[in-house]
Amino acid sequence: MMEKTKQPKVPLTKAEKKIRAKAIFNRWKAWLYLLPALAILGLFTVWPIINTLRIAFSNGYQGMLEVNGETFTFGIENFKTAIEVSGFGNALGNTMLLTVITVPVSTMLALLIAVALNSIKPLRRLLQTIFFLPYVTNGIAIGMVFMAMFNMIAIGGKAQSLGIINGIITAFGGSPIDWVGPNSSKVANMAVLILYIVWNALPFKILVLLGGLQGVNKQYYDAARVDGASRWRIFWRITVPMLSPMIAYVVITGFIGGFKEYTSIVGIFGEEMGPYMHAHRLDTMVGLIYDSLNGNFEGEAAAASLILFLIIFAVTMINLYVSKKKVHY
Amino acid sequence: MKVVLEHLTKIFPSRNKKDKDAEVVAVNDFDLVIPDGKLIGLLGPSGCGKSTTLFMISGLQAPSSGKIYFGDDEVTKLAPENRGIGLVFQNYALYPHMTVQQNILFPLQNLKGPNRLSKEEMLKRANDVAKLVQIDEFMNRKPSELSGGQQQRVAIARALVKMPRVLLLDEPLSNLDARLRLQTREEIRRIQRDTQITTIFVTHDQEEAMSISDFIVVMKLGVIMQTGRPQWVYDDPANLFVAKFLGTPPINVFKGRVEGEKLYIGEEEVLGVPGADDREVYVGIRPEGFLLKKNGKLSCKVSGIDVMGRDVSVVSTNENSLNPVVRSIISSDEMGNISSDEARFDLKSHKVFLFDSETELRVYFGEQVAAHEKMVAEMKEAGQYYVHEGPLPREADDADRHKTAEAPKGFFAKVKSLFTKKPKKEKPAENADMGSENEAPAEGEVPAENAETPVEKSDTPAENAENHEGEAE
Amino acid sequence: MEAENMEKIEETSPQPETPRGMAEKDINKTARAQLVGKIFVQIGLYLFLTVMAVIVLFPFYWMLISSVKSVAEYNALNPTLWPKQFVWSNYADVFSAEATGIDLGRMFLNTVIVGVVSTILSLIVTVLSAFALARLEFRGKNIVFGAMLATMMIPGELFTVTNYITVVNWLDWGNTFAALIVPFLVSVFYIYLLRQNFLQIPNELYLAAKVDGTSDLKYLWKVMIPLSAPTLISITILKMMGAWNSYIWPKLVVGDSHQLITVGLRELASMFSVGNNPNFPVQMAAVVLVTVPLLIVFICFRKYIMRGVSRSGTKG
Repeated sequence: MMEKTKQPKVPLTKAEKKIRAKAIFNRWKAWLYLLPALAILGLFTVWPIINTLRIAFSNGYQGMLEVNGETFTFGIENFKTAIEVSGFGNALGNTMLLTVITVPVSTMLALLIAVALNSIKPLRRLLQTIFFLPYVTNGIAIGMVFMAMFNMIAIGGKAQSLGIINGIITAFGGSPIDWVGPNSSKVANMAVLILYIVWNALPFKILVLLGGLQGVNKQYYDAARVDGASRWRIFWRITVPMLSPMIAYVVITGFIGGFKEYTSIVGIFGEEMGPYMHAHRLDTMVGLIYDSLNGNFEGEAAAASLILFLIIFAVTMINLYVSKKKVHY
Repeated sequence: MKVVLEHLTKIFPSRNKKDKDAEVVAVNDFDLVIPDGKLIGLLGPSGCGKSTTLFMISGLQAPSSGKIYFGDDEVTKLAPENRGIGLVFQNYALYPHMTVQQNILFPLQNLKGPNRLSKEEMLKRANDVAKLVQIDEFMNRKPSELSGGQQQRVAIARALVKMPRVLLLDEPLSNLDARLRLQTREEIRRIQRDTQITTIFVTHDQEEAMSISDFIVVMKLGVIMQTGRPQWVYDDPANLFVAKFLGTPPINVFKGRVEGEKLYIGEEEVLGVPGADDREVYVGIRPEGFLLKKNGKLSCKVSGIDVMGRDVSVVSTNENSLNPVVRSIISSDEMGNISSDEARFDLKSHKVFLFDSETELRVYFGEQVAAHEKMVAEMKEAGQYYVHEGPLPREADDADRHKTAEAPKGFFAKVKSLFTKKPKKEKPAENADMGSENEAPAEGEVPAENAETPVEKSDTPAENAENHEGEAE
Repeated sequence: MEAENMEKIEETSPQPETPRGMAEKDINKTARAQLVGKIFVQIGLYLFLTVMAVIVLFPFYWMLISSVKSVAEYNALNPTLWPKQFVWSNYADVFSAEATGIDLGRMFLNTVIVGVVSTILSLIVTVLSAFALARLEFRGKNIVFGAMLATMMIPGELFTVTNYITVVNWLDWGNTFAALIVPFLVSVFYIYLLRQNFLQIPNELYLAAKVDGTSDLKYLWKVMIPLSAPTLISITILKMMGAWNSYIWPKLVVGDSHQLITVGLRELASMFSVGNNPNFPVQMAAVVLVTVPLLIVFICFRKYIMRGVSRSGTKG
């Protein structure tokens, strides 16, 4: 350093200039490469976090009005309205119910399918592909197919098609049920919804669990066989504990996804979030957020999304706590 | 329990089923009688089929042909759980999520019907066996909290707790450091003596096998080369492979020839070999078979001298030696006979083995003939005589056997393989009983690596723990 | 002899093990029982998997056959499992704007435009960032990377409100493709995935390239990208799938002229199922048109999709 300053100032040659410029460039190039990503993340990820907090606590915030120069007072009005809104309890209940039922059911089914797939040889690839198919489909589109399968068609009050599911039920001697129509019960709606969500959730879980199974050292199974363990015991005493990190992973992501359930309901029941004549019967938390947003109540929407985030955060923490005790790593 | 193997053969089909040439004959027409209550070491270089043999005895791998008897029962078709064996895996395969006690209890809890024990009995059994292998103080630890040696003992306890008819150990000492290895092999010997369970163990370490086995079985490329008491096999190797495989430092091999019942190495006549026909031979000389003499018959250039306490190892070179250096072990009294750069040796005739240069089979001469016959008679009586006859399997065949089974290794190879189209890669490894069940060979390697990591990690605690034990004593 | 000894032992101490010295018959029996058990289990496994596979496949089957039924056949009291007559015109009806009032063809095109553009831009941004984070040394690298990863924890719904305001009110991008593309260009997860992949490439290659005077970008193009091709393909496909399946955001920010296919499909569904004249076959034909391209892509790129997904846990 000292030497450098002592050097007499001689005009830099072109080559030297080039080298110096290059050195400066090298010092900053990493940031240059990161610039596009950071700019977009800043605008569409970091800023929303801050802003969502801000508008959630700005009483009665409506974005359009702010443009006109109005300012809003700090407060928790938005949270109050969000919670007091008529559908809140229903939406929260629906969300919870769907999550609490679909996550264990789909995890258990996925585990059984993964274990079964792992213990067969012929046709394994084919079946694996089949079980992955629901993943690569459009949630809305297949929701419409489920709707069609369960739907009864009545034209002018006269019953026409019962739908294929009711067709199967009657073929086995049951009586048809209105699953998704105007006269359907909420229980029936929920049953269809749960079936669809489980159907949709299986592929990812099977994929992860199967990957986990294939990562388990085969020697543990050999050892268990030598030790005379039955298949059932191998499943519970070896497979499940060995897979517990993967199981925890799919359960946690399942809970997070469950609390964000929205498109599956739109797929089957449409934006009305319920069967004909029963709009909003099947509303969820995310559904509420979009309703508020569509009604231009951004403050409320922000508050609702914060509430959702807190719920997800809390549930994830509980999950992590439980899995810390139960999961073998 | 006597264990009898009859014409046992294991052929691994090639990954591409149609390609017959890529088949791997891991074990080839294997005949062996293992007497009741003995400790047998299956010994051979890696890839000789010794582990496959062990897994066939355990029932984890089905033989392609041949039969396995435990006592008078044929068990070839029985599943491992119905054979009454205990198996200790190379990496122990302790269930990582269970405590030591749960690991040991596991086989007992699997018993059903009339064999089912009460809870108290199970605990008592587990405690007894834990005491036997001296791990009773760690019962509530997880395997990851134990040193390698302790894990190994837990694995033995788990194998012993159900009182197996046969105990099988796959490379039981390979994951331990040198000092622990010595200690543990004595332990295994002791446990085997205490329990009197017929025990078969696999190792590539000849010293290990020699030191604790009642009998050893030397294998090469799926074929038994020789069986017998370790000392006999060492003193009377049937072919060049066995001679080279046993002994540390290894045997010195020279090119030589027999002419008129005299043995020549180069132009030097080194030993009288009465009864041997004229022919080209390989001359195997055990390091302890040299006598340093002022006017010894075999001359070598001295390149170094290692003093190892009582004995001295003279490292020298000879142009007819097939080893890079000639190692001889002599007693320090003879050291006076060495001049600065030349050592002259006489040879002890019972430490010199001749092998036909074509067949690599042993050529007996002089007193060796009678000694050999005596040993053979003795071993036949013990039911332990077997010597491979006929041409030896060659390494070149081995290279062929494995050619197609090679998997791409290393990141670049893997990447490259992603770009090169593989014909019909769809259903490759499904049939491969060897290794893991994963489709891609490259993936299949992963679990094995994973399995080894914890053991490597635990090496240091192992030392620590052993140090502590040492202090306590 | 031996058998007798064994029996004695069994009398004195209860032997939990398999019977010792058992007769040949017993062994054959056990062996047979083993085999039968094994076959039984295999049959059970295949049965279970087949039933599950049928359940999984049934909606696809129903979608396909319904799409070619006539309205009358579809509406008949007893549903048929195979169409009596194939009405291909259902597919034509999907695209006829008069019949639906929704220009589905236009929306297909929109979706392709948005998918391709956003995938290309996203790949560029991802590759550059991953390269900086994997190969370059600079102050604050760990903080930046850690902060990026931290944002992955927050559910996307939290961003929607503000992003809506940003895009529509501030940037005035309402009803533009930019509104559909820009906010989702950066996926921290893809950057992470690619960075991990880059890290596997030995640093010596980079240093050697530097010694040879190769520029960063050339090195990226010639070495890193080819070596990370599988990951890049995974990202590409998942990104395209994301555009194809996105529903909520496009519905919020753009109108019919820029709308994407899924929204159009849903609107179509509402149109054909409500009221006195439901037309499910046309609806199903539209569903087939939206679903089948994805299935084809999946069958072609099965390996890459499953690889990407198993590491992500997020759709699109």
